[in-house]
Amino acid sequence: MLTVVGKKQLLEDAGFAYSFDRLSYINREARKVFSLEFVQDHSEAEIKEFIDQSVPPGEWRFYFNSPPSEAVKRELSAIFR
Amino acid sequence: MNERTVEDRLREEYFALSSDVRRVVEELEAEVRHCLVPLSSSLHKYEKIEVTSRIKDCESALGALRRRQEGATFDPDRADSYTLTSLNDLAGVRVLAFPRSRWIEADTTLRRHAPFSSWTPDPVLEDEIEEPLAYKYYGYCSRSTKLRAELQIAPMLIGLFWQVEHSAVYKPAPQLKGLLVSLEMQQPLRGVYKALRAFETEFERLVRRDPLDKP
Repeated sequence: MLTVVGKKQLLEDAGFAYSFDRLSYINREARKVFSLEFVQDHSEAEIKEFIDQSVPPGEWRFYFNSPPSEAVKRELSAIFR
Repeated sequence: MNERTVEDRLREEYFALSSDVRRVVEELEAEVRHCLVPLSSSLHKYEKIEVTSRIKDCESALGALRRRQEGATFDPDRADSYTLTSLNDLAGVRVLAFPRSRWIEADTTLRRHAPFSSWTPDPVLEDEIEEPLAYKYYGYCSRSTKLRAELQIAPMLIGLFWQVEHSAVYKPAPQLKGLLVSLEMQQPLRGVYKALRAFETEFERLVRRDPLDKP
């Protein structure tokens, strides 16, 4: 339970908001997307590390358990832009 | 001309399957009611067993399948790999029982009968709550070999909470379904389940202890 609260707080503090349509945590400014499955399956420390990673300008970074295809990335980045 | 989307293909599949779904749900409901006759006829006045059936509508089925994909997004390059027959609950029957001891009895009774005795258990579990919130099984009826059906057996108050939640929130705005699974909603939901469960447990304890005749 503490982990769930911790992850939730960690994401919120880092500017991520939950998209209930895409079941993912998104930060438009940082251009990062965490799928709910990924958040559930990784520890707080790991998520913190991924939040701190830098993303090259103009790119989006998707943290999914199964890497999304290019088509899915295109669709999601178009929606989140 | 634009290519057909994954959703277009799935809508076509839904309508091709719809007569099968109807047949399955009719058979399933009849089987469940038949199995529960002895139990239903032995209930005290304050006890209750309700059987309802439903067919998932087309857009709900598409939404459910989409939400099963990571990032809740269909991959257009894998359009052919998606099928509504992978859902367990296109056709479903729900049994609600009150109080909790009747819920357990309903589950035990149904599990003894074919076809449910060979169905796959898929209980609704919740962290921090030992017992399942509801018993759930899926499998095939004799009317169709390609469509699985779902049987859910829930304590009355929890089942009614799900029904109210569904009709008040998700029916008018199905896209809100994704809210329920967020990390943020886990704690408030758990609070509701614990409260409903405590109510049912205490209610039954007091009724059973009553030294006078049963109501």
